[in-house]
Amino acid sequence: MATDFFERQSQSRTNTRWLVILFTVAVVVLVGAVVVVTAIATGVVQEGDQSFAATGELAAPGAEQLMPAFAAGGFTLLLILMGSLFKIAQLNGGGTTVAESLGGRRLFGNSADPYEQRLLNVVEEMALASGVPVPPVFLLKEEQGINAFAAGYSPSDAVIGVTRGATEGLTRDELQGVIAHEFSHILNGDMRMNIRLIGVLHGILLLALIGRAALRIAAHSGRGRRSSKDNGGGIVLAIVVVGLVTLILGSLGSFFGNLIKAAVSRQREYLADASAVQFTRNPGGIGGALKRIGGASMGSRLQHANAAEMSHMYFGQGVWEGFTGMMATHPPLPKRILAIEPNWDGSYPAPLTVAAVSAAGAAGFAGGPSRFAVSQEVVEKAADQVGEPTELHRRYVEELVGQLPPPVRDAAREPYGSRAVIYGLLLDADPSVRQAQWAALDRHAAPDVAELTRKLSPQIDTVDARSRLPLIDMALPSLRAMTPTQYKAFAAAFQKLIEADNRIGLFEWMLHRVLVRHLEPEFGEVRRPGIAYYRLQRLTKECSGLLSALAHSSGDAEEAFARGAAELSGVEVYLIGKDRAGLADLNEALTTLTRVAAGRRRELIDACAACICADDHVNVREAELLRGISDMLDCPMPPLVAGQTVSAANIPAVGMGRPS
Amino acid sequence: MSAIIALVVVGVIALIVFIYGVGVYNKLVTLANRFENAFSQIEVQLKRRYDLIPNLVETVKGYMSHERETLEAVIKARSQAVTGLEHAAANPGNAAAMQELAGAESMLSGALGRLFALAEAYPDLKANQNMAQLTEEITSTENKVSFARQAYNDSVTLFNTYRQQFPTIMFAGWVGYTEDAELLDFDDAQINEAPKVSFE
Repeated sequence: MATDFFERQSQSRTNTRWLVILFTVAVVVLVGAVVVVTAIATGVVQEGDQSFAATGELAAPGAEQLMPAFAAGGFTLLLILMGSLFKIAQLNGGGTTVAESLGGRRLFGNSADPYEQRLLNVVEEMALASGVPVPPVFLLKEEQGINAFAAGYSPSDAVIGVTRGATEGLTRDELQGVIAHEFSHILNGDMRMNIRLIGVLHGILLLALIGRAALRIAAHSGRGRRSSKDNGGGIVLAIVVVGLVTLILGSLGSFFGNLIKAAVSRQREYLADASAVQFTRNPGGIGGALKRIGGASMGSRLQHANAAEMSHMYFGQGVWEGFTGMMATHPPLPKRILAIEPNWDGSYPAPLTVAAVSAAGAAGFAGGPSRFAVSQEVVEKAADQVGEPTELHRRYVEELVGQLPPPVRDAAREPYGSRAVIYGLLLDADPSVRQAQWAALDRHAAPDVAELTRKLSPQIDTVDARSRLPLIDMALPSLRAMTPTQYKAFAAAFQKLIEADNRIGLFEWMLHRVLVRHLEPEFGEVRRPGIAYYRLQRLTKECSGLLSALAHSSGDAEEAFARGAAELSGVEVYLIGKDRAGLADLNEALTTLTRVAAGRRRELIDACAACICADDHVNVREAELLRGISDMLDCPMPPLVAGQTVSAANIPAVGMGRPS
Repeated sequence: MSAIIALVVVGVIALIVFIYGVGVYNKLVTLANRFENAFSQIEVQLKRRYDLIPNLVETVKGYMSHERETLEAVIKARSQAVTGLEHAAANPGNAAAMQELAGAESMLSGALGRLFALAEAYPDLKANQNMAQLTEEITSTENKVSFARQAYNDSVTLFNTYRQQFPTIMFAGWVGYTEDAELLDFDDAQINEAPKVSFE
C-alpha cells in the first residue's frame, strides 16, 4: 500500500466524508433514543396499552401526546448541533487553542533549561528537515506521563505539545522518534482531521459535559445552603435529576464519540509510527520511546480535565478508554512495539534517571564547505520527495544550522531579533535597491530594530541561498508569538521593504510570500478556502504566469518553458513576455493554484522542476526557489540534497496489517 | 399543553444562556492563557539579564574596587529582582506580584545606571573587551525585555477589555475572573538611558 504525499492528502479528504456519515448516524440514534425515552416517561406507551385493553385495538398515539417526546428530541438535536458549531468556531484559533486548553506553556528559544532547549532543538531539526515552518512548542508542565501531540489545520498554524514527562524522561533519540511521529501526522493531513473531530464530536459529548456541570453546580449550591430553608432543596433536587438524566444520555453520546474516534484514528497510528521510523531511520528511537511508556508508572496518561476530548491526538494512549481496547484510539502498546521491532523480548526499561543533558544536535560543523550537494536528478524528481523527510535530510539540517553565524541563529529563535533577521533576508543584493530599502526601514521600523538589522546584515549576507528559506522557517514561531499590534507594525515595515524599489528579485519575492503565507492564519481574519479546482484546464493564465516567471529566471526562457509545459499535459499554457510577467500577477496565480486538488499540484511541481532543470545546471538558489513554491502550494518539500533517491515504494510496510 | 410549551421555551432559553456562558468562559480562559504565555517571554529575557549581572560585577570589581556601595547596591537589587520575578512568574497578572516585580526592576535599573555612569570615569574599564561585550549584551537584553513587555501588556489589555464588557462582566465574576490583570510598567525612561544617567 505504498502511497505518496499527494495520495494521502486525497485520502484524508475521503476520510472526512466518512466521519460525517458516522456522526450523522450517531446523532440520529441519540435523538431517537431521547424521543423514545421521553415518550415512555410521559406515559404514551402506557396509554397505548390502556386503550388497547379497553377497545381491543391499538390506537395511534395522538399528536398531543407525542409533543413532549418530540420537543425533547428537538431540544437534544439543537443542543448537539449548537455544541458542535460552537466548538468548531472556537477551534478557529488553530492549534494554539488546543494546546492552551490542555494547560500548555509556550516555550521560547534560547531557553535556560537544558531539557527545554533540547526539545526545541529537536523540533527545529525535524521541521527544517521536513520543509515546514518550525511549529511553536508548548510544554505541559503538570503532566508526568510521557506523551505529545500535534494540533492545527495546516503546517502554518500547527503547534507541538509535549508533556514534562516526555521532555525529561526520554533520551534524545527517543524524543526525536516521538517528534518524528507527530510530524508524520502533520504531513499526512491527520492533524486537520483530528482538530475537526474535536469540533464535531463536541456536540455529542456536550450532553455528558452538561450533566457533569449540573451535578457540580448542585453539589456547590448544596454545600452553601446547609442552613437555608427547604425551598432551596427542591431546586437542588431538580438540578440533580436533570444532571443525572443528561449524564446518562451523555454517556451514550460519549460511547458514539469514542467509537467514531477509534474507527478513524487507530489505523493512522501505525502509519505514523512507520513514517517516524522512515524519518529517523532509527527504530530504536520511537521503539525506545514506546518502551519507556510501558516502563513508566504514569505511562502516557494525561491528568488534565480536558484531556479526554483530544484523546485521539496524542502519541500514546492518554486516557482510559475501556477494558477491551475495542474503543481505544490507539493500538495496544505491545502491538505497536512489535510492529517496529519484531524481535522485541517483551521487557520494559527502567525510567531514565536524571542525567547530563546536552542540547547539542548541531555540534561542531562550523565552517568548511558542505558535504551535501544539490544534484540535478534529485531536483527533477522533487515531487517524489514532498512529505517524505528522512534521516539524510535531518543530518543535512544539523550541518546547516551549525554553520549559521551564531548571532543570526540566536536572533532568529526569539521574537525581538527575528524581525531583524527577516528584514535582513529581504534586503536585495543590488546596491541601489538596498539603498532604497534602508531608507524605507529607517522610516517605518522601530529604530532599535533597524539598528539591530544594520548590525546583523553583514552576517546575514554571508548566509548562502540554501539557508535562507530554513531561516524563515526558524523565525516563524517567534514571529507568530507577536501580538496583533506588534505584527501590524512589523508587517507594515516589511511591506515597505518589498516595495522600496519595484525591482525585487524572484528569490526575495519567494521568501516574502512564504513568510506572508504562514503568518496569515495567525493574524489574518480569513480561513483559507478549500479545494475549488479539480483540473488545471481552466487555470491556463495562472499556470502560464508561474511557468513564465520561472522560465525567465533561467538561461533560455523558451526552452525552459517548453520543458515545463510538457509536464502539464492538456493545459494550454503560453509564455508571457518578460516585461509583462509581473510579480503581482504571480501572487494572484499562486493564491488560485493553492485551491487545486492535491494530485494536480504534483503536476505543477513536476512542471516547475522540469523548467528549472532545462539548462542542465541546477544551483542551490533554483532548488530553494522550487522548495519555496512547493511550500506555497502546501506541499512541504525537504531540502533537495544528493544521495537521496526517494520513491513512493520506499515506505516500509511496517505494521500495515489489520490491527485488532 | 401550555405548560409543556412554557417548559420548552424556558429550556431553550436556558440552553442558549448556558452555551453563551460556556463560550464566554472559554474565551476568558484563552485570553488569560495568552497573557500568561506572554509573561513567559518576559521571564526568559529577564532571567538572561539577571544572569549577566554577576559577570558584570566581577569584571567591574577589578577596576572599581573602592566603589563598593554601588556594587553592593547592584547585587542587592539583582537578588530582589530575582525574587520578584519568581513571584510574578507564579502568578502572572496578579496586581501585587506585578507591582513587586516592577518596583524591583526599577531599582535594579537605577543601580545599574549608576554603575554605568561611574564606569565612564574609568577608561581602562571601558577599553576592556569583556566589559564592552557585557554592556552590549545587557543593552540588547533590555530591548528584548521591552518588546516582550509590550506583548504582555497588549495581551493583558485584550483580556481586560473583553472582561469588562457587558454582559461578559457578569459571567466573569461567577467563574472566578473577578479582577483585571495588571499591566507591567517598568520605568522605561530609566531603562533606555541606563548607561547615561548622571550620578547626582
